[in-house]
Amino acid sequence: MNNSTKIYLLLFLVSLTIISCKKKDEYHSLDERIHAETRTGANGGVNSEILLSDKNLMEITEGHHTFLIPERKGELTSYSCTECHNKPLKQIASSDIKKAHWNIKINHAGSEVMNCATCHNGNDMNNLVSLTGKKIDFNKSYKQCAQCHTVQFEDWKGGAHGKKLAGWAPPRASMTCVNCHNPHEPSFDQRWPVRFNSEKVQERKDGFEFK
Amino acid sequence: MSEEKKWYNFDLGFTKQTAKTGTCGCGKSEGSCGSKQQPKTTIQKEEISEEAFFEAAVDASIGEERHKDGFDQVFEVKMDRRSAFRKLTASLLIGAGAVNTSCSITAGDASKEKAQIDWEEQFKGNYKLMTDDEKEATVNRLMRSYELRTGKNLSMTAENAKENVLFGYAFNISKCQGYMNCVSACVEENNQDRNSQMQYIRIHEMKDGNGFKFNDADDNYYHEVPAEGHFYMGTQCFHCDNPPCVDVCPVQATWREDDGLVVIDYDWCVGCRYCMAACPYDGRRFNWSKPEVPEKEVNKNQHYLGNRVRKKGVMEKCTFCVQRSRKGENPACVDACPTGARIFGNLLDPDSTIRWVLENKKVFRLKEDLGTEPKFWYFMD
Amino acid sequence: MRRFKVFKSLVTDSLDTITTGSKRYHLWMGLLTIIMLAGMYCYSIQLDEGLSVTGMTDRVSWGLYISNFTFLVGVAAAAVMLVMPTYILKDIDFKQAVLIGEGLAVAALIMCLAFVIADMGGPAVLWHMIPGIGVFNFPDSMLTWDVIVLNGYLFLNISIPFYILFRHYQGKDSNPKVYIPGAILSVFWAVAIHLVTAFLYQGLQARPFWNNALLGPRFLASAFAAGPALIILVLGIIKSFSSFKVKDETIKKIAMIVTVAAQINLIMLISELFKEFYAPTHHSESAFYLFFGLHGKTALLPWIWTSISLNVLAVVMLTFGRFRNNFKTLYFCCFILFVAIWIEKGFGLIVPGFIPGPYGKIAEYTPTGIEIGVTLGIWALGAFVFTILAKTAIGIETGEMRYGKKTS
Repeated sequence: MNNSTKIYLLLFLVSLTIISCKKKDEYHSLDERIHAETRTGANGGVNSEILLSDKNLMEITEGHHTFLIPERKGELTSYSCTECHNKPLKQIASSDIKKAHWNIKINHAGSEVMNCATCHNGNDMNNLVSLTGKKIDFNKSYKQCAQCHTVQFEDWKGGAHGKKLAGWAPPRASMTCVNCHNPHEPSFDQRWPVRFNSEKVQERKDGFEFK
Repeated sequence: MSEEKKWYNFDLGFTKQTAKTGTCGCGKSEGSCGSKQQPKTTIQKEEISEEAFFEAAVDASIGEERHKDGFDQVFEVKMDRRSAFRKLTASLLIGAGAVNTSCSITAGDASKEKAQIDWEEQFKGNYKLMTDDEKEATVNRLMRSYELRTGKNLSMTAENAKENVLFGYAFNISKCQGYMNCVSACVEENNQDRNSQMQYIRIHEMKDGNGFKFNDADDNYYHEVPAEGHFYMGTQCFHCDNPPCVDVCPVQATWREDDGLVVIDYDWCVGCRYCMAACPYDGRRFNWSKPEVPEKEVNKNQHYLGNRVRKKGVMEKCTFCVQRSRKGENPACVDACPTGARIFGNLLDPDSTIRWVLENKKVFRLKEDLGTEPKFWYFMD
Repeated sequence: MRRFKVFKSLVTDSLDTITTGSKRYHLWMGLLTIIMLAGMYCYSIQLDEGLSVTGMTDRVSWGLYISNFTFLVGVAAAAVMLVMPTYILKDIDFKQAVLIGEGLAVAALIMCLAFVIADMGGPAVLWHMIPGIGVFNFPDSMLTWDVIVLNGYLFLNISIPFYILFRHYQGKDSNPKVYIPGAILSVFWAVAIHLVTAFLYQGLQARPFWNNALLGPRFLASAFAAGPALIILVLGIIKSFSSFKVKDETIKKIAMIVTVAAQINLIMLISELFKEFYAPTHHSESAFYLFFGLHGKTALLPWIWTSISLNVLAVVMLTFGRFRNNFKTLYFCCFILFVAIWIEKGFGLIVPGFIPGPYGKIAEYTPTGIEIGVTLGIWALGAFVFTILAKTAIGIETGEMRYGKKTS
């Protein structure tokens, strides 16, 4: 092999190395990309308005966050409460009126911490009541929960706790506490998973049999 | 006639309408056939007379303005010998076709159209390189083909990535209770094979105090959940920003879209399964047999890159439900989650909830040291 | 025009040569044909039902096919071990062996391509991979590199011997100026095909068992042991069944190559074992699975320990000149070395790469009957192709086949 062949070979190898470099993105990391491409309010023209059109929503502002939540009062079967609770609670309890709310079990904190009156005001059944006796609208029941569950409240406002009603695009419409949790027994039940994969069991048993 | 077709198209007269209107193969001159907005424009059994067929074939032989597709994406240069050959074949076919149509009474337009569609589908190009018109055309062909085979309509779109959108996902480990509603919803939404019980999502049941030990975790538990002393962690395709699976594909059948979704063109995939070996997250699935979904369970709301029914021998994977997310909806798993453990949104929108999670919670990703940059974060309350 | 005539005569002559032979030869070819047909039948089932008829799953997504492919790339690459001394170092000794070696490379490459096609989920759309017509993801995908180097190597290994044989067929000497550049190129190319095939696995950060820098060099070492070992066996068979003269000197020289390569391979194996087991991390789990089994899953243990003991035995025996120079023990050593490396580079390399899976799940892999059928069919195809090539080459080299000989 003479020198010129060697040089050609070297050139060939060098160019091969160069063309074989994988093409890299313009950004060094995902983080960099996100920050460089961030555009406030631009979501490619996508919005969730159609998805939310059949829902009865109301806008709330909590801290820096303004978003929609579902209206609550319309969802309650026996609202307004004063239709039955037209007399003070004591009188209803003593008279022979048909028993109501018998299916409600309270399993929320302990009985030494909470009872019905922690949230409901016997004198104003149409509204909830705060720990200090202030009125809380049923539509803003999350305020009731937020009195104790402050951490969850922060997460919920930001969007880390809870679900959206529909869609990822603005406007943001989030479910409130009572859309997932039953306020009288807020923790989730133990139940069976909805799925079991029998193929996977087979696959992992002892490898495959000869078919 | 300005742009001649370089590859001979197996033309039985049905593409003539397509050519002129530039819409679809169903013979409709306006709108896309079977699309949601115009339900009336679904099927139109157009009777093609012999003369029309003859004319169409002649037209094909002379050359007509058509979308560039398949081989055309490459053969852009004019080649005389090729077009000569094409014309020759076409004129032969005129004869054969004329004989065929005049002799057959029952060989309906449907079977001819089916053959036409199958031919064009077999030799179409890579979806990634298609123009919007070509995408529309293939989607229309697929819808028409489904209609011809089953008599049912489905709606399939070829919606492109939206600008200023980059999808991201966050998973709350403290919230997940292992109910697996997400898995079920995903299977139903995405038309996954029922026989092999394919599932994109895995929920790993981990012991408290053991850390993230996937080895000891069970992803196929069946007992009441949440089980005492356990926590749950879901995995699926993480739609990496630097996806190793995309690099290794020899035919670019998989790629990252502009909105960050890593998708597969099922019709372009050759089934080498290199991407499967390259994925560190077990995000990819292969159709070892022909996937079966009972007709009545088929989700008819489809996207070309998403949940359309796959075929044997191709890869598939989670697409963050591209058929939903590009319309502004959440992926099926997010909507199905009863505990709110799944958060989805646009990473480029500073007001989105996903951004709030990333900026305010302690998030981490799996196997970050591999440099894959997943767009799927985990966090705890 | 004359060339065309010569070529036509060559084809008819070689057809004559390969269709005539002893009873044993016909038996051999008949047997291969039957195995090939059986393999084709198995493949037709696979085409019909899909790859679910194989033992592969989402967990272990490459199996027997890719294992054999990997191993055979090595065998093909080994032809270079004979090309280099013959054409470049001008060692006349090897000249005859080299034709056999290149024939072997061609057969091995055809088998490689067949194995890859057998492994594809959609062989009907393989045209997507043809550059120009389809979309060729070059240079990002190592698989496209592999396609290029394998086909290039196939072309080189067909054209060089063809040129030489074509000249000899006409009773002329071949012109070194024509084939030497090709031979030099094929030396680099052979290293490339094996290195590229190693990179196919080595570049996957998802599979720590493969993602180590030693994989490429180890591929080369094992290839240069297994390939020439096979050549020695083939030369031995040819020597006893045909009039083709292969000097003992040649075989001894190849044996030397086998010995050195096998020794290097063993050293690399030790280095790998040291790394995996001295300070095991969770990346060592695949190695644990391979050598000791994991969570009671031990399917590969008998194979890999057979392989290692055969490997060590072969290396020890070959190291002593007494065994190496005795043809009986040499053939034995070559045979066990070949088997050992077939296991080690085949499913000993591919299967543990997938076990445990990315999330620690273990699903073992056992090939099914259909998969084995297809594999045997492809091996039979390779043997068939090689027999044809070798018989023609031998016919020309021994002077039995000459242009114009039959007509005159």
